[in-house]
Amino acid sequence: MKQVGNNSEAFSLKTRLKRLKRDSNRWSVFTLAIVFFLALPIIFIGVELFSGPGETWSHIVTYLLPDYIWNSLYLVFFCSILVLLLGVSSAWFVSRFDFLFRKQMEWLLILPLAIPSYIVGYAYAGIFDYGGSMDLIFRQLNLDFIRIDIMNRAGLAFVLSISLFPYVYVSARAFFLNQANNLLEASKMLGIGERKTFFKLMLPLARPAIVAGLVLVLMEVLNDYGAAKYYGVNTFTTGIFRSWFSLEEPQTAVYLSALLVIIIFALILFEKWQVRKVKFTSSKTNSTQIQRKKPRKAIKWLIFSVVLLPIILGFIFPVAQLIYWAVLTASTVFDAKFIILSLQSFGIAITSAVITVFFALLLIYFSKWSALRSIRNIARIGVLGYAIPGAVIAIGIMIPTLALDKWLIKMLGNLGIDSGLIINGTLIALFYAYAVRFLAVAYNPIDSTALKVDNSIPDSSKVLGVGNLRTFFKIEFPLIKTGVFSAVILVFIDVMKELPLTLILKPYHIDTLAVKAFEYASDEMVMEASIPSLFIIFTAMIPVIFLNKLLIKK
Amino acid sequence: MLTIDSLSKSFDKGKNYALENVTFNLKAGHVCAIVGESGSGKTTLVRLIAGLERPDHGRISMNGNIIASLDKFVQPEKRNIGLVFQEYALFPHLTILDNILYGISKVKNKKQRAQDMLDLVGLNDMGKRYPHQLSGGQQQRVALARALAPEPSLLILDEPFSNLDAMLRTQLRNEVFDIIKKTEVTVLFVTHDTQDALSVADEILILQNGKVVQKDVAANLYVKPNTLYVASLFGSTVHINKNLQTAFKCPLNETCCHAIRNEKIKVNPSTGDFECEYITAAQVIKKIELGDSIQLLLKLESGEQLTVMTQDKNVADIIHIGFNSKDILEFEQ
Repeated sequence: MKQVGNNSEAFSLKTRLKRLKRDSNRWSVFTLAIVFFLALPIIFIGVELFSGPGETWSHIVTYLLPDYIWNSLYLVFFCSILVLLLGVSSAWFVSRFDFLFRKQMEWLLILPLAIPSYIVGYAYAGIFDYGGSMDLIFRQLNLDFIRIDIMNRAGLAFVLSISLFPYVYVSARAFFLNQANNLLEASKMLGIGERKTFFKLMLPLARPAIVAGLVLVLMEVLNDYGAAKYYGVNTFTTGIFRSWFSLEEPQTAVYLSALLVIIIFALILFEKWQVRKVKFTSSKTNSTQIQRKKPRKAIKWLIFSVVLLPIILGFIFPVAQLIYWAVLTASTVFDAKFIILSLQSFGIAITSAVITVFFALLLIYFSKWSALRSIRNIARIGVLGYAIPGAVIAIGIMIPTLALDKWLIKMLGNLGIDSGLIINGTLIALFYAYAVRFLAVAYNPIDSTALKVDNSIPDSSKVLGVGNLRTFFKIEFPLIKTGVFSAVILVFIDVMKELPLTLILKPYHIDTLAVKAFEYASDEMVMEASIPSLFIIFTAMIPVIFLNKLLIKK
Repeated sequence: MLTIDSLSKSFDKGKNYALENVTFNLKAGHVCAIVGESGSGKTTLVRLIAGLERPDHGRISMNGNIIASLDKFVQPEKRNIGLVFQEYALFPHLTILDNILYGISKVKNKKQRAQDMLDLVGLNDMGKRYPHQLSGGQQQRVALARALAPEPSLLILDEPFSNLDAMLRTQLRNEVFDIIKKTEVTVLFVTHDTQDALSVADEILILQNGKVVQKDVAANLYVKPNTLYVASLFGSTVHINKNLQTAFKCPLNETCCHAIRNEKIKVNPSTGDFECEYITAAQVIKKIELGDSIQLLLKLESGEQLTVMTQDKNVADIIHIGFNSKDILEFEQ
């Protein structure tokens, strides 16, 4: 292609406007409408900022905000260090070395993702409690002068790290498995030793992948409510809850939410900057599998234990503790009411998964059918909800729906109809919130399978006289089915585990397993929380294993 | 039948043009080949015609109706154009028969028509198979049958043979165009291979850097190429630059650019008598035997190097070469 200086007519303002008119179709409008709908909670938080802070704001700024900021920074810092140590080392060892039970451990390392952080928190509280498992062990060993207090900031950082490190593990391992082999061989040919290869070559190259995983971890850390509340650590999320429920000051909650969103966008910018700085990884995946080394015996056991440790801490210990509690409390907790509760929880998760996937499909395909290329970039704004903590989204939905309901009640009252709250405190608000929060979870697997379908396939359908919608149902949907299916499952798990958003928005009479576990724990009945927790873990486990299979296939 | 009028398309808001001011006509029933290197804009051009891209400037009309301009855009599904993609783009989850039926769901006797198309491309017993069970050549023919089934008024073939090896390519090219001739459809045929174009096209359009450099019947492109680029597309060509003009003692018009085809350079295996208008002596640097002929790499006194072919096996170290003025190709600068 050649530089053209004088062909400016094609890009003069007049012709641009003409093209804009020609190329805007209904799909462009629909895409914009969906993006707007998904961004609405955040827009509301932005708008509410202008009506000034609440009465207690100055009190919070003086007495609590430093605490929130300090605690959040503390958690971000120490969780980063811990998840990097656990995630990167285990990813490197399972991709580079062959040792006992390596294959099993590869997917066992993902399992901590099946346990929500707050449940890990409950389990560890029990393990280190007075009269808990650790206490018993120490007493047996005549070490009963040792008491480890875990119910503090450091304990919370430990609990969050041990449950979230798989995000780093998964993305680092994907990099090591797919990209590393050629480079490893080249390094070997140049006579570079194992340690130097790792620190000088693999680690810097894997940085974008590792940072991407780390940012996901930190988003979850800032999103956490259940564990922080239980451990008595004041964070932004607990602050939002406190201002909303105890102080009944929505304005203060809004201000805290806005601050939290700013911190998270700083994190995202940090990731983008990291990725841009080191954009030298090839996008092609390597077909040759990495050649695993068989280490010497002593080292083999060292590696084995290093990889086993996060599995024990992140999965086996907490699950064992929960099972122990479950045995003790099964007779009181497990009854017909509990079964109904589980079914409700499944029902809510499935429905919201289907709704969210539906929105993701609309967004992906409407923006594709829009002839304006800029619309495709705008569509990606709809995915940003994943970065925004559940509590913030809930506040962003609560405020406008309350106002809307007030207005509706008044209008219907004028007509002589006595209606209760129509949107607020109903499942509609909850489903809407889940769709906003988990759209990215559905969007990414569908988008990546859709990208594998060559453009010429839908193009040839159109050339054969078939419109967009029929092309989608007849050609594209059958080809992206697996992506859609895994998207439904992924959103399902996330909704099952979700706590803060559900706590704020759920209807009175409806509970989920996550909420039930939280309620038990808050009412000093943490043992009873074990059964709903185990239910969540086992439903989440099956797809986590399934997901790992997908990852290996890729 | 098809009129393209100052068509432009840029993928980076006017910094570079994939296609710039392209204008041409295509008569009904003709086969027109679009030839160019990769990146010359061939695929962009046919995607614009098919309605898979939208022009930034200019107009496309079919049978007198505008189908794409700055104000108007007819959707690809309403254009009645058949398109065979480079990678065939068969629907992998549908059988061969369902692939062909896909575009004619509203046609009466569609089953019969689909079967006729299968017969036409010689795959009558393959209807129940799936695309992955077919060879590349068979898939190609299914793609052709699928595109022809709705009786398009224009058929576009986008580099349909580039995924095939040389033997199969020639055979399939002939088969495909035998089938196409039976249907009397107007054809736009995109290729980077001049042999493909020469063997089937009524006329050829040459694209270079997104611009049309020549559109003509095949014979004219060889005899009267517009530019050195076009000349070299249809056989190796030597640019007669200042040094060569001095060496051959043939002063030429300075405002024009001149070239001679390699095969028109005559070779005298010695320095004896030799009838040519312009002659020069040359030193043989290298001889490469190519079966029944020999390729000679020559060095002239001026230092220029040239490659020529000869049938003569006994070549001296110093020889004479020459050419005649009627064989000189002349282009504007």
